[in-house]
Amino acid sequence: MKPARILGATLPRLAAWCLLGFLFLPLLVVIPVALTDRDYLSLPQEGISFDHFAALLDWDNGWLPSILTSAGVGLACSALATTLGVAFTVGAWAAGGRWPSFMRIILLSPIIVPPIIYAVGMVKLWARLSLLDSYTGVIIVHIVLALPLVVLAVGASLSNLDQRLMQAARSLGARPLRVFAKIILPNIAPGIAAGALLAFVISWDEITVTLFITGRAVVTLPRRIWTSIEDAVDPALAAIATVLLLITILALVARALSEGRSGKKTA
Amino acid sequence: MLPHSAGGYGVSNFKRTALMLTLPASIVAISLYAAPIAQVLALSVTEPTIGWSNYQRLFANPAVGRVVMTTLKVSATTTVLTVLASYIVAFELIHLSARLRRVALFLVLVPFWISVLVRAFSWITILRRQGILNSALIKTGIVSTPLELVYNLLGVTIGMVHYMIPFATLLLYANLSDIDRRIMQAARSLGASPAIVFYRVWLPLSLPGIALSTLFVFVFSLGFLVTPALLGAGKVLMLAEYVSIQISNTSRWDLATSLSTALLLVVGALVFVAMRSSALRAVFTAKPQP
Repeated sequence: MKPARILGATLPRLAAWCLLGFLFLPLLVVIPVALTDRDYLSLPQEGISFDHFAALLDWDNGWLPSILTSAGVGLACSALATTLGVAFTVGAWAAGGRWPSFMRIILLSPIIVPPIIYAVGMVKLWARLSLLDSYTGVIIVHIVLALPLVVLAVGASLSNLDQRLMQAARSLGARPLRVFAKIILPNIAPGIAAGALLAFVISWDEITVTLFITGRAVVTLPRRIWTSIEDAVDPALAAIATVLLLITILALVARALSEGRSGKKTA
Repeated sequence: MLPHSAGGYGVSNFKRTALMLTLPASIVAISLYAAPIAQVLALSVTEPTIGWSNYQRLFANPAVGRVVMTTLKVSATTTVLTVLASYIVAFELIHLSARLRRVALFLVLVPFWISVLVRAFSWITILRRQGILNSALIKTGIVSTPLELVYNLLGVTIGMVHYMIPFATLLLYANLSDIDRRIMQAARSLGASPAIVFYRVWLPLSLPGIALSTLFVFVFSLGFLVTPALLGAGKVLMLAEYVSIQISNTSRWDLATSLSTALLLVVGALVFVAMRSSALRAVFTAKPQP
């Protein structure tokens, strides 16, 4: 009985940590490959080299322009999606009723509707409006895809907000826009910041729809990576993957640290 | 709910301002999301001729049949493996000490946030013929010729499961964290063995989370482009890649739009069925559950 019980308790735990290893460890392989001293995808043979990281900064290799393109598109998308999303979520929260609930479902549907379907529709629409392979076209698509995350993040913040706060301001005679700007917005600032960050990340990572509506003129970083993976030779690909991996890890560590600190302060 | 008596000015004025705020995003969503998708649906029955002929051809097309079978096979395998693995990880997560849980969550969140392209590239680096795994296996003499690990069904499934686990784990972790642990204590104190507690208490209480993550993983898998395209390299042709080929290479809009419509209908039907479960309804309507 006893060994069986120990096995029953230990085996799932062991499996869980093996799975955690399966999730994380494969990501690390890009690091040694980025440091290879060869000019093809391989592990370092006779020593390590940082040449492939330097290659990322060479304008003519196309990586730097793509990084800047993605950063610019991401910032524009984040600013606009956050503005639209915050206005919508606050308005829907304050007004209530059928119309905002219905629109909320439309706005959130990109989460579940496969992006390939949207891509087919947008190729047709942008072809007609001559917006294929344009910055405007890419930014608009990214805004639509980022809006659900902004709406969810701001909505989560609003659900913690007491509606009586707004009623108090109104009964004291504050004008509607003043209530929104001075009472509601400051109280949901963390949700707005989270929404803006999520919107940037969505745009920075978006590939499926972007692949269909861009060509040679607008080459976002994911698009550049996509082409490079299909060729599967350039170690600079491993270098950019390493950079992205390190940024992700640093961001998560920074968040954990700040949460730990604020948690201690309140405790 | 707003009280209709409050305020020094008309409630309608306040409500009008609030509704005005919802307009810009609504216009964007309708004209630049709903309308283009509606046009895909419309084109599927009007291009090149009006009627259901596209769908008749869809069912008669053996290539489409193969693609659909591959898609269903890969999606079903991915869903079963992902939900099973994610449940094991999520179950461990809620039983860990705060410190270890932070480590474990970190291992889930890094792959969750990193670009899908970086993940696909990592797997190609590991699994291809001259890849890290095959080199190691040959060097240690375990195999003499490289194993075919990628650009086939196996590679696509590995990549898809790896993509979906963080996502499903976070869904299940949220669900399991909400379960009142005193129920398990009560069951234990009444003499139930750990196995009984798991099968009779944990499992039934986590069914909504299991259903929700199954739905999401399956729906995502059905329309997934990136990982199947990169790890299948044309040899494992799934729906999304097939649609993309119809547009980019052959300009077969009839096929692309009717397949997209069929996919949308399947996804819509799955979501409709799942909306009966309160967990999903809560996500979409933001209403507290009764």
